[in-house]
Amino acid sequence: MAKDIVISNSEREFILESLRAKQRLDGRNFDEFRDVSIVFGNEYGDVLVSLGGTKVHCRISCEVTLPYEDRPFEGLFLISTEFTPMAGGQFENGNSTGEDEVLIARIIEKAVRRSGALDVEGLCIVAGSKCWAIRADVHFLDCDGGFIDASCIAVMAALMHFKKPDITVQGHSVVVHPVEEREPVPLGILHVPICVTFSFFNPQDSETNFKGQDNLEIVVTDATLKEELLREGVLTVTLNKNREVVQVSKAGGLPMDALTLMDCCHKAYEITDKVTSQIIAAIKQDYAQRDRYAAVLSSENARDATA
Amino acid sequence: MSRLEVYSPEGLRLDGRRWNELRRFQASISTHAHSADGSSYLEQGNNKVVTLVRGPGEPASRGQLDGQRATLRVSVNVTKFSKFERSRTSHRNERRVLEIQTSLRRTFEKACLLHLYPRTAIDVELHVLEQDGGVLGAMINGITLALVDAGVAMWDYVAGVSVGLHDQTPLLDCNSLEETAVSTVTLGVVGKTEKLSLMVVEDKIPLDRMENVLAIGIAGAHRIRDLMDQELRKHAKNRIDNLAGKQ
Amino acid sequence: MSELVLPGDSLGIHDGVPVILGPGVSCDPMTQEVIPVNAGVRHYIEKKNTVYVDYNAKRYIPAVGDLVIGTIVSTFADSYKVSLSDFSASVSLSYMSFPNATKKNRPTLQVGDLVYARVLTAEKELEAEIECMDSVTGVHAGFGLLENGMVISVPLSFARTLLFNDTFPLLSTLAQSCQFEIAIGINGRIWVSTDKIENTLACYRSLNLCAKTNDSSKFKQIIKEQFKLAANVIEE
Repeated sequence: MAKDIVISNSEREFILESLRAKQRLDGRNFDEFRDVSIVFGNEYGDVLVSLGGTKVHCRISCEVTLPYEDRPFEGLFLISTEFTPMAGGQFENGNSTGEDEVLIARIIEKAVRRSGALDVEGLCIVAGSKCWAIRADVHFLDCDGGFIDASCIAVMAALMHFKKPDITVQGHSVVVHPVEEREPVPLGILHVPICVTFSFFNPQDSETNFKGQDNLEIVVTDATLKEELLREGVLTVTLNKNREVVQVSKAGGLPMDALTLMDCCHKAYEITDKVTSQIIAAIKQDYAQRDRYAAVLSSENARDATA
Repeated sequence: MSRLEVYSPEGLRLDGRRWNELRRFQASISTHAHSADGSSYLEQGNNKVVTLVRGPGEPASRGQLDGQRATLRVSVNVTKFSKFERSRTSHRNERRVLEIQTSLRRTFEKACLLHLYPRTAIDVELHVLEQDGGVLGAMINGITLALVDAGVAMWDYVAGVSVGLHDQTPLLDCNSLEETAVSTVTLGVVGKTEKLSLMVVEDKIPLDRMENVLAIGIAGAHRIRDLMDQELRKHAKNRIDNLAGKQ
Repeated sequence: MSELVLPGDSLGIHDGVPVILGPGVSCDPMTQEVIPVNAGVRHYIEKKNTVYVDYNAKRYIPAVGDLVIGTIVSTFADSYKVSLSDFSASVSLSYMSFPNATKKNRPTLQVGDLVYARVLTAEKELEAEIECMDSVTGVHAGFGLLENGMVISVPLSFARTLLFNDTFPLLSTLAQSCQFEIAIGINGRIWVSTDKIENTLACYRSLNLCAKTNDSSKFKQIIKEQFKLAANVIEE
């Protein structure tokens, strides 16, 4: 990524020097995740997530389609992550074979789709002939590092927020009820994976990193774009609230002590816990906002419980 | 079809191994002495991987030229006949393969002393002839051997191995049958240390069991490192003996 | 007297009076009317009979005489390639445009080094050229390598204000908190260096925040807070 952003030696040295003094440019602690904001749009499954200066939009859509031949009882689920120069000049239009693009797409795919976060069996309508196809379109709007973390939050928040139209099956014909006619139904979410990315910096030379016993490497949570450009290694951990490791990816880079990596996983769990609660709270609030007239419009009589 | 018994109550696995046993590990180097600067052929269980290293040499294009260090490139060719069923499509340009290439490149970029070879390119070419679980680990071992054969300066060995977790028992070096039944972790361990250059988990594992799994993986990788070391030393001894015989 | 103009507005330049056109204004060849082509603040200097529009932008386009900060991206047989802003065409810096340079006495800059320089030529069809000396007099003139320190990216108008507006309170306020060296590039890059990390860090954060606010009365408070914050953390 970002092959056209030039970072001067002065900046590189200064950022490393401040990391050695336990300082980050934006004043955060090493293990501090940036503030997440989750904003829902008018439709179900339309969410804008910002993580510091990074902005990611995700939109869920659905249609009725033919299931795969070898999986007649399962619906389809597709996550599309396409990078456009909208996210920053370093991304080329229509080129998704860049190293970082592939890694980001693969990690989101593994974290959400492969881990079975969405109940695809619940998407089956008529076995072998009709099923729902759910599509999550991720748009990267602004880039300040942490694309994986932000887009995973966006996809999960959007999936949890989304509601598909209700259906009735009569023999072989299926009636799809418009949203205005019948209350749409939410998707089956089996667990909520959250990605947390750690960046590694080497304050010494690479010989001490390989041969030394000191483990002085610096671990930084949720790097900004500048830190991402300078880091020497990266670890993305995906966890859910049930203390399950869903996916871990440390694709080479600076060798790190196994215990340090375990420590990262435990740190990630705390963040996962917090972010999951935040997503659930945000959805609850949004639903409450949508239903604010429900009490007024209800035709039920208020019954006196004491009577 | 009954469910496979991955780990029997007697403590035996599908292929008769114990939980902490590696598969057969056989390696040879300089297998393609004429076509490449460094080469290795590796059998880790039923995984068969051929690795060719070309370089450090003149880069193919100016874009690969770096004035500070050598450019390392890794290309992975997963053959169509490498699995039980012949795949119809070529695996080249699959996202999974691209991901593996990137992971391997980034692993060895740190492990090699690339700053010793400025303005050159080192091409690593992997051919997977047969795969049977934990192929990423086998690729790491293959590259390590081939790079040593090519004479590229490295800080230390990088040894790759996969570990599965069945219930509470970690299973070292899983084959493909086990891989379908349990979640696995692939590690790339630096030499005799506990430093991980690569760590990939693709299925769910309880967070509290991870430490256990990593410990077994690291121990297994150290054993693989020793096996590679033995093979290399045997090869070196042959060469030295030959030299001595000629004089 | 500042007046906001937008493209398509009238500048109110009287016909018949010869006028010098600065940036952001153009002369319609058909009607000979002087019109603004950028959105910004109109300036008219009566003494020199010059009119220009002061407008903000994020991307820098080289113009002759501008003082800029660039990063060296590659070296060639007789020149460096220098990047003045990300995702833009690079400019060239000849080995001969350094003070005391001869064919044998070459500058020793490395890829990634920062230089303070002046734009020598900027033709829109050609690669722009910059120089690290005053080519008229051949003296040093304060240009050259910027060592250590930190770079801050700011909007172009902020950099201009900082460099040209002597009454702008930011630098004098900053000077009350610490000693610093500063180089301001019209290309929206500011380099600061102090003797301590925490001071440089505080300068970096203050300048970043100040570039985002329009209210210069807040500068004092921002700077005070940032210096306090940086000093505290280092002590811990």
